[in-house]
Amino acid sequence: MPSRNAAQWNTPPNSLRIDEFVDSRIYSDPAIFEEELEKIWKKSWLPVCHESELPEPYDFRTLTIAREPILVVRGPDNKIRAFLNVCPHRGMLIERRPSGSFLENQASGNPKHMTCMFHGWQFDMKGNCAMITREKEGYQDRLSRKDLGLRELRCETTFGNFVWVTLDDNNTQSVNDWAGDALACIQKNLDAEPLEVFHYHKAIIGTNYKLWHDTNSEFYHDYMHYFNRITGFTPEYFARKNVAHKNGHVVVGTFEVQYEKYQLGKSRAELSFPGLPPNQWFMVDLFPGANFNLRGSALRVDVMTPLSADTVMIEFRGLGLKRDTAEERMRRIEHHNSIWGPFGRNLHEDLLGVAGQGSAMLPGSEPRRIIQARHENETIHDEVGMRHFYQEWGRRMNRLPSDPTRKYMEAAE
Amino acid sequence: MPASRDTIESVKDAIYKSCLLLDDFKFKDWLELCDSDFTYAIVAYSPEIRRDMTYFSGDRKQLATMLDLLPKHNTDHSPLKRHATVYDVAVDDSGKTAEAITSVLIYQNMLDGINSHIDAGENRLFVVGRYLDTFRLNGGAPKFVRRHVRLETRRLDKGSHWPL
Repeated sequence: MPSRNAAQWNTPPNSLRIDEFVDSRIYSDPAIFEEELEKIWKKSWLPVCHESELPEPYDFRTLTIAREPILVVRGPDNKIRAFLNVCPHRGMLIERRPSGSFLENQASGNPKHMTCMFHGWQFDMKGNCAMITREKEGYQDRLSRKDLGLRELRCETTFGNFVWVTLDDNNTQSVNDWAGDALACIQKNLDAEPLEVFHYHKAIIGTNYKLWHDTNSEFYHDYMHYFNRITGFTPEYFARKNVAHKNGHVVVGTFEVQYEKYQLGKSRAELSFPGLPPNQWFMVDLFPGANFNLRGSALRVDVMTPLSADTVMIEFRGLGLKRDTAEERMRRIEHHNSIWGPFGRNLHEDLLGVAGQGSAMLPGSEPRRIIQARHENETIHDEVGMRHFYQEWGRRMNRLPSDPTRKYMEAAE
Repeated sequence: MPASRDTIESVKDAIYKSCLLLDDFKFKDWLELCDSDFTYAIVAYSPEIRRDMTYFSGDRKQLATMLDLLPKHNTDHSPLKRHATVYDVAVDDSGKTAEAITSVLIYQNMLDGINSHIDAGENRLFVVGRYLDTFRLNGGAPKFVRRHVRLETRRLDKGSHWPL
């Protein structure tokens, strides 16, 4: 086939429908990115951490959603709550550490309190303002502590005891409403018994967050992975279903991975998650940027924090069963990290892929068409997952993914 | 009996030689410095989840197989170069084993990991950590029996397929 000149390059093939490609400006335009933070990221439920990261009362974790700093804390009543990690006084971060315990003394405050180091304002585990230094002298009776509590965020602990947070008080959905339909396929495996995080690392990659989500949503890129070609590519693999679920989520159904076909590989059957048939592998992609990947003996969960149009932070967690023996845990860790660790076989390749896309779609680069037109009866290499994601994206943004200057709703009509 | 200066220097020599061989992608020669029961791991403590983690682990056979398979995997070919300083060598009373602590910085000399036209030739600090090595001393050159690369760096971005 001939190469193409600029006009040809910039004209989508006539045979493509408008839902079978997207315009690369949705990955590179800073204005679209800012709009996404408002219309998508500040409106969605996100699995921000796992309850095993804050196992004891007064334990906490800090994180960020759409540039808003968040503090997740387990109260003395054992309930996990989420707050904006912002002091109502002068807007300082209340807690600066990634994790810890408020049982410990702090330089500016008392145990069992969240203390803003700046002026010593203190809050209890329910977000009530408990202490204002020199309160009477400075504010007389003009300000009341009851009006100076923390901003509490909606928070649920569910689906394998992940901690879910949304910034949107007006979101009428529960987490189950939001993600239950998609996560139903692995819910019994996640909820059978307590899980525990054994792996955490993060990557900041020069690429748009959707490009990472796309990669998690399509398995056609298994051609990039020697490991997957060797252990996968069977008739059962190619029959694996790829099914759209409500709210923009996608589930890639299971099949039996043949781990022993990789050199020195071994079956992982004996450490399968409860209720999961041996060596099976489910993948659940949650709009707008999280992923539950249950591969036999280990659960991997990716959570994205978009930083700019061309930069994303991805947090990678690995989980096993809380009751694991030391030997079982080590084998689970090896299973997880030999593929998905920062020095594993597949994750490095996946990240090279999206870094390369990011390099070719920098802000200001020419608009291009990114094709998602594979139809294979909604099986593994069908790109239905990406098409489904961008329908949801288009509805929420009211922009047509194939031409983001057009309104989605008008185009749909 | 205190360890001889020669013994301590031989341990240091083995560590520095391992760095040169790894820098030069001479992985088979690197494994030749290791005894048959050698084990290797990349570990780190995560303040996020408050746990020790094992990012990668393997024995000598697994490492050899993994290294043989490297050409079949897509990878970032940006070379890694080590700057190491051996801080401490402790020889046990029997004189048969030694443990060493080495501070190590590993730089990535950018080649093809992102956009080679722009990045190639640039050096970036890749990881900071320590080699925690255990040696068997049999009268000849010390043999590695265990290397733990304990990383401080936990933001690992694209990561790597290569041993550190």
